[in-house]
Amino acid sequence: MSKLLIFLTLIPLLPILTTSFSLENPSSRRVLVLLDDLALKSSHSVFFNSLQSRGFDLDFKLADDPKIGLHRYGQYLYDGLILFCPTTERFGGSIDLAAILEFVDSGHDLIIAADSNASDLIREIATESGVDFDEDPAALVIDHSSYAVSNTEGDHTLIASDEYIKSDVILGSKKIEAPVLFQGIGHSLNPSNSLVLKVLSASPSAYSSNPKSKLSNPPSLTGSAISLVSIVQARNNARILISGSLSMFSNRFFRSEVQKAGSPTKHEKSGNEQFLTELSKWVFHERGHLKAMNVRHHKAGEADEPTIYRVNDDLEYSVEIYEWSGASWEPYVADDVQVQFYMMSPYVLKNLSTDKKGSYFTAFKVPDVYGVFQFKVEYQRLGYTSLSLSKQIPVRPFKHNEYERFIPAAYPYYGAAFSMMTGFFIFTAVHLYSK
Amino acid sequence: MGMARNLGGFLVLFLAISICEAASIFQPISDSHRSAALELFSPTDGSFGSLEETYEALRTFEVLGIKKRPDISATSCQSVSETLGSSTSSLKDVFHALKVNSVLKCKVNDETFQGVAKRLKAVLNDASSLLDFYYSIGSLVLIKDQNSEVDVLRDADGIFRSIKALSQSDGRWRYSSNNPESSTYAAGLALEALAGTVSLASSEIDQSLIVTLKNDIVKLFDSIEKYDDGSFYFDEKLVDAREHQGPLSTTSSVVRGFTAFASVTSGSINVPGDKILGLAKFFLGIGIPGNSKDFFNQIDSLACLENNRVSVPLILSLPATVLSLTKKDQLKVKVNTVLGSSAPPLTVKLVRAFISGTKDSSVIESLELKFDPETAVHFLDVLPKSVDVGNYKFVFEIVLHDSEDKNVYATGGQTQVPVFVTGLIKIDNAEIAVLDSDHGSVETQKKLDLAGENAVSLSANHLQKLRLSFLLATPRGNIFKPHQAFLKLRHETKVEHIFVVGNSGKQFEIILDFLGLVEKFFYLSGRYDIELTVGDAVMENSFLRAVGHVELDLPEAPEKAPRPPPLAVDPSSRYGPKAEITHIFRAPEKRPPQELSLAFLGLTLLPLVGFLIGLLRIGVNLKNFPTSAVPATFALLFHLGIAAVLLLYVLFWLKLDLFITLKALCFLGTFLMFVGHRILSHLASTSAKLKSA
Repeated sequence: MSKLLIFLTLIPLLPILTTSFSLENPSSRRVLVLLDDLALKSSHSVFFNSLQSRGFDLDFKLADDPKIGLHRYGQYLYDGLILFCPTTERFGGSIDLAAILEFVDSGHDLIIAADSNASDLIREIATESGVDFDEDPAALVIDHSSYAVSNTEGDHTLIASDEYIKSDVILGSKKIEAPVLFQGIGHSLNPSNSLVLKVLSASPSAYSSNPKSKLSNPPSLTGSAISLVSIVQARNNARILISGSLSMFSNRFFRSEVQKAGSPTKHEKSGNEQFLTELSKWVFHERGHLKAMNVRHHKAGEADEPTIYRVNDDLEYSVEIYEWSGASWEPYVADDVQVQFYMMSPYVLKNLSTDKKGSYFTAFKVPDVYGVFQFKVEYQRLGYTSLSLSKQIPVRPFKHNEYERFIPAAYPYYGAAFSMMTGFFIFTAVHLYSK
Repeated sequence: MGMARNLGGFLVLFLAISICEAASIFQPISDSHRSAALELFSPTDGSFGSLEETYEALRTFEVLGIKKRPDISATSCQSVSETLGSSTSSLKDVFHALKVNSVLKCKVNDETFQGVAKRLKAVLNDASSLLDFYYSIGSLVLIKDQNSEVDVLRDADGIFRSIKALSQSDGRWRYSSNNPESSTYAAGLALEALAGTVSLASSEIDQSLIVTLKNDIVKLFDSIEKYDDGSFYFDEKLVDAREHQGPLSTTSSVVRGFTAFASVTSGSINVPGDKILGLAKFFLGIGIPGNSKDFFNQIDSLACLENNRVSVPLILSLPATVLSLTKKDQLKVKVNTVLGSSAPPLTVKLVRAFISGTKDSSVIESLELKFDPETAVHFLDVLPKSVDVGNYKFVFEIVLHDSEDKNVYATGGQTQVPVFVTGLIKIDNAEIAVLDSDHGSVETQKKLDLAGENAVSLSANHLQKLRLSFLLATPRGNIFKPHQAFLKLRHETKVEHIFVVGNSGKQFEIILDFLGLVEKFFYLSGRYDIELTVGDAVMENSFLRAVGHVELDLPEAPEKAPRPPPLAVDPSSRYGPKAEITHIFRAPEKRPPQELSLAFLGLTLLPLVGFLIGLLRIGVNLKNFPTSAVPATFALLFHLGIAAVLLLYVLFWLKLDLFITLKALCFLGTFLMFVGHRILSHLASTSAKLKSA
């Protein structure tokens, strides 16, 4: 009997136990890996092992496996998707372009690796994510000035790039010393798309073309406009990583030593492992995922939150912000969190001070304009999930008895009235009883 | 369908691994494999996990000759003796325990071996599935190797026949008689089991059986599959997702079985040497696998191939395929066995070399490479004069000195290797000029030094042309045509235009006629920075050089002119914090200083003072105050009432609100009216009496 009772009480808890991806635990946990060939599992094992050692549950499937699917009974089976299948023309099972876009639209993460001869399907997924791969199927990124020096690689398509995005949250705080090896196709970003970012770009001397054929027209992609690896953070905080090279994830590139042309230093290991491990941490929300809680505001010197403020009140505002570290919520430390006191436009915009333990606070005077205001925190920083908090609060003018009462400038008037009254009193007595 | 998918996929892997389709370069096993092996096979808590994994690790270390391997003999030997001692341990475990023992040489006493051997023979007598045969025969062979006292198989012919009964006409095997599906992987296991049967047999096996089996092997090798780069592999024909082994383990199983069988039989097996070389290339082409199973399969199979009796593959490899003419790099070729040991005496011939893409014109014909016995490298001192910078295909051939060796080694005939010959390119006659459009006369002309810095400053209008020209020559003095020769003009607003610099005969030249480019330039006048990029895979001094700038004066844009494309925005500018905003409060009204107010307060009190002084002057008195008690009381009350009303006004000013004031005033007024009427009528009657009197 009691066991049954325990069981019944546990039933509502079941969804909590099974769906590990939540606001409280934003890292993706179950990841579907679609491969062209299962042998990639072994040839790219260092990358996969680094994911598995961080607690991800990888499910390897062939891209044309007829049994694969992203969701069942209206629930997503996976929190993340890795597409290491550049040549796949059609996915098996119920997965297609629309299913993948829907997967991302519902806030899940995606890693796409294309390669030379990337299929139209992979290109389309990339296009929908905001990047355009070079349309020439035989084109590779070539760079005659910053290639990786090699005894056996002569065509300069093996590129050593160290032009990373400058962002600690995306690439980790440790500097990547060795250049990253890249061999594959380049892509360009749509300048009007503000969600997609170039993480690794080509050098100014790079261009994208078929190394085997002569160039008669200028290539469509040249110079630093070529992006080698890009990331997208959608408005729903879903994250996407797009790379033009599958081999940059391979063990061979991870272990390879690298020397950039024209540079005397030879690195024992390429930067690929660090670069991609850090980047995958970002993609799977182990870094740069913020949450805000405990938004509080009150009049200076009080503790309770009022329902209304009066113009010119002094108020104090505070909010707590935490960053997900992959295992727990850590206090987020920054000096650029700002709060706005907003009605149609910000009346007050103030930097918040922090105690370095996650709490952000400030104090300011309510403007002498009444109406319905909002406390707004719009925190959008490179690589971080965006925070958008707003809390509505009305502001009223002074009441009639809240104005200043005894103004010195009015004393002559008061004096005149009271002297008049005194005079009147004396005059009545004198007038009535004087003989 | 599944097959094709798998093949395609594996091809991709291949391309990914052997970077850049360096089609026919296969490097033998080297030290990078050794360090990877130590990384892959690292024991946890003093063991590698199961006995199978332990054997894989030990075998890999043994083949690679790694001496400094982790010490796991204590725990492993214990589990070996436990497995062998127990009568309930599975066949597979026994097999792997014996394999581990074959490497570790644990102390296992003879009785244990005898007991296991007895058990295995019992299993063998009523075995029906291939795996039973494989494990029990394999185990018996291992026992025989480790302890010679175990007696041999009596009914070897019978067992041979019953294993053979599972074979199919195409050289594949079934796992058991009631399983109709045949498998290539099983064929490898069967061959290994059969080889074991032969070695265990007390008497010679029926030769006709051996001959048919040899034919089966030939049939099996007919189904071998091939990649474009000359490597061969086996794969399952029927793909059942569960049992599917993958090309690597399938090929590895066949190689193991085939080499084991070849080593126990005499006489030739009709398998061509290039297929065996192709198999070796397949294993080498994988590079360094990332999981231990694949790694073991690769190394173990290569070890089998290294010592096989049919033909030993020799791998021709080039330490460098990028050779610099300027640095006078030597062409070096190494020939090794798959595991990197030295080859028998031989000569490497450079049969021919041709520029890739053009099959017909060869630049080298038949050259013999010298051999340096110290470094075991075949080399060519200087590249012949006919070889200029470029992208070549070199064709090599291995010629064995000893004709006996030709039967032992597989050299694979001719090997084609792509070679890049690089060099410093001379740049001459670089100049930039502004021309007048109509008569082509030169307006300004400047020399450029493309090896150093330039800061040319030019100006032109839309009726003029810009000409840039230079000459490129190879170290051998020929004209050089680079793959990349771009001229880039970048406007102040970061709008870029790229032109390919073409060549006319010797000269590289580009003429920009601004009249035709006005629209392309979006009518944007102003400063354009000029950048020249020249690069090629074989050009050692590829460069990207800022040449200078040109001040362009273009006509005003007509209304319907195309707009310049939107430019990429620097992401960091999009995200920074905003400037702080502080509200500006309404300034309070201006007020006079307090002293002034007080002074005026004093002034307003002056009339009262004057009034009081005046009253004293005229000598006021209160003689008219009623003397009798009742009017005096009313008079007193009347004046107190007036005082109270005035006090009420003061209170109203100080703190009371209008409602309380009016209420109080109501009572006071009524009271005042009453007492006022009484005292005033009293005073009136008194004064009337006085008048009448």
